[in-house]
Amino acid sequence: MINTLKDIWTVFSIEVRRVFGDRMVLLIFFLAPLLYPFIFCFIYHNENVENMSIAVVDEAQCEESKRFIHKLDATPELTVSYRCSNLGEARWLMDNHDVRSVFYFPKDFSSRLAELRTARVVVFSDMSSFYFYKAALTGGNAVLIDEMHQIEMERYERAGLGNEEAQIQMQPVVMENSTLFNPTGGYGSFFLPCLMMLVIHQTLFLGICILSGDARENRKSLKLIPPHLRRGSIHRVTFGRSLCYLIIYVPICILDLWFIPRWFNLPQLGNLYTILIFLLPFILAVIFFGMAVGNLVVRQKISPMLCFVFFSLVLFFITGMVWPQESLPRFWLLFSYLFPSTPGVQGYVKISSMGAQLSEVRTEYMVLWIQAAVYFAVATLTLGIQTFIRRRQNILTHNLRRVRFEGVGVLTENPLAETDRTNETITKTETKTL
Amino acid sequence: MLRELHRIWRNPRYFILMTLGVVFTFVFFATVTREGQPTKLSVAVVDMDGSYLSRRICHEMEATQGVSVKAVYNNHSEARKAMQRGEIFAFYEIPKGTYNDLLQFRSPHFVLYVNSAYMLAGTLSYKQLATMGMLATGAVQREVYRKKGYKDEQIMGLIQPVEYDTRNIGNPWINYGNYLMTTLIPAVIAFIVLMHTSYIISRERQEKTLKNWLSRANGNPFYALIGKMLPYTVWYVFLCLLANLIMFGFMGFPLEGSWMLMVLNSILLIFAAQSAGCFIAGSIPDPPLAMGISAIYSAMSFSLSGFSFPVESMPTFLYSFAWLYPIRHYYQNFCDIAIFGNGFSHCWPRFCALLAFGVLIVAGALMMQWQVNREKRLAVQQYKRDAV
Repeated sequence: MINTLKDIWTVFSIEVRRVFGDRMVLLIFFLAPLLYPFIFCFIYHNENVENMSIAVVDEAQCEESKRFIHKLDATPELTVSYRCSNLGEARWLMDNHDVRSVFYFPKDFSSRLAELRTARVVVFSDMSSFYFYKAALTGGNAVLIDEMHQIEMERYERAGLGNEEAQIQMQPVVMENSTLFNPTGGYGSFFLPCLMMLVIHQTLFLGICILSGDARENRKSLKLIPPHLRRGSIHRVTFGRSLCYLIIYVPICILDLWFIPRWFNLPQLGNLYTILIFLLPFILAVIFFGMAVGNLVVRQKISPMLCFVFFSLVLFFITGMVWPQESLPRFWLLFSYLFPSTPGVQGYVKISSMGAQLSEVRTEYMVLWIQAAVYFAVATLTLGIQTFIRRRQNILTHNLRRVRFEGVGVLTENPLAETDRTNETITKTETKTL
Repeated sequence: MLRELHRIWRNPRYFILMTLGVVFTFVFFATVTREGQPTKLSVAVVDMDGSYLSRRICHEMEATQGVSVKAVYNNHSEARKAMQRGEIFAFYEIPKGTYNDLLQFRSPHFVLYVNSAYMLAGTLSYKQLATMGMLATGAVQREVYRKKGYKDEQIMGLIQPVEYDTRNIGNPWINYGNYLMTTLIPAVIAFIVLMHTSYIISRERQEKTLKNWLSRANGNPFYALIGKMLPYTVWYVFLCLLANLIMFGFMGFPLEGSWMLMVLNSILLIFAAQSAGCFIAGSIPDPPLAMGISAIYSAMSFSLSGFSFPVESMPTFLYSFAWLYPIRHYYQNFCDIAIFGNGFSHCWPRFCALLAFGVLIVAGALMMQWQVNREKRLAVQQYKRDAV
């Protein structure tokens, strides 16, 4: 037991020195997770589009249309910045992006109202961003409902009904809405919690991949493992290293996932204890996942940056926060469970935005532990196999050298040059076999 | 350039990998957003009334295309727990005594709870259920009017005095595939181009073949950079155009303006992204650091291009920051060309902006020249010192 702890401590201290000795890893482990949350919180500080400028084309020129336009202007989402005399002008404004939406009241607007037929308002909206559309829709709908009530009320009054009676006639059932967990319905409150988790996932994963790429490229992966651990106790190496990353990432997680959401007034219903308990398997799963991928595919120090960063977008999309999990094609759903980010983001959002307890995120929690266990096994196995191959090669090299020297019988004048050359040829063959 | 082709030929791993990356992203988004909008979202009903009416509401909810009723709960907290587990996105709460209230002309209150922590699912299920609620109210009113002897056409006028006729310019079906793919795919390509550019330059430094590379261009880093970029420019422009062709041609996303402008837009996007990559990798001598900076810089391009959340609604200092990203200009041009069908007169400032990124190649080349000169100088000094 004490031996195990000692070994873990040795590996741990080697790893800490590596992390703090590498500028790129420092950049990714510390700068990125500290910088991104702040920048993104600033970017999405205004949760919704406010006072979007619109144009109105009022060909009806009646009392109702004027009132309608006033109400549109009064909504928080919309501002009537142009009043055009015809659709051509409005179209021109729209082409120049001066307005994002056009409300058009045709000539027959008032006559239709008077004839008790449905009057029509034509809305043109810019679909280049869904937020323009959403703003036009929300603001417009609020006015529409209000206006409909007012018109109906007036009619009932003219028919001689009292206020209360008219209300019941108009609205036999009252519909109330209540948006839970993201009261403003804003983009920031939805996006930022997912983003924080993804940032942590990606930085930790990349950092580990870079470290293992560095070891491979500079041929020091064997040196980093203490000699007595190379044979049977390779799991202690995995443990020691993961302990190092874990200790670095717990404070970062607390800052990113607990303090920053408070400072920027994001929805935060969970408590720190639950979040931490949930994060433990998440961080472990990411660490072992990173190690497994690093051992399996990464050969260069800088290639992980090239290959995995753009993948964040896909990861974000398959977490199920954007596109609901049940609407994902089956293949992609299974694919998404390869990554710890999927249950991680789901679980964190449920705990922090929706105030779930651990019992409600049981599935995600279990999946994370399973992932951690599987990736731990993969990481240890691959590391073990690699060490085994390296050692075999080293022994072979050693024997080869001995055979050469002894076979020739006489040492050449400069034995060092000879060994260097063999070393070179062997490293070349090694690269080929790898 | 020939040397670069030779390098690609010798070690095509990353070249193929990046191409696969583009293809993978394309296929991913194409298959996921195939339906246009997610359908059959899970919702639930909290039925405390248990009457004929509440059952009927369940059936009507089930009949709409967008949602499907997963469960019927007996009380609020059960439904709330299900929502926290992520099983349902919205639920209607029908209070006790609804049916009686309705018969006695006391307006009963229905409450619709929506989970808006899930943006798309929340909004869509809200839209579906709110519309259904309106229709249900309308249906009750219509019954009353029918019994009073009005005609159906008149009834519509009475129930709904005003309605909207929406014309969504550029995406009439509110198709998310159209919205996401047309900008995300070029964004991913630009991202990959930038990273790849800075990777191949950094790789030269790492393998210490920088001198060899420069000597092939007679020691002029500008020509060296251009020669190195050219094969990639051609290849990525081809990929980008292919992606656009598939999207606007085969998948039928609308393209109002001219094809030529779109082609020009794509070429300039690749060019600008490469220039930015050249600048970063050319000016930072430490390869890992250069890669790190490129990644940190370009990871924000998706947000600052402004198609997910409009840049105009971001704080002002970030608004100007967005100009530093080629994809931002591409996106604005794309809106002009594909959505509004505007001509060259609208796009030229942004084309100029994209071209202006070319200055960065020169800047990168100058920085490299300076570094090489400094190294030489240091070597000479070292030599002199040794000689002394």
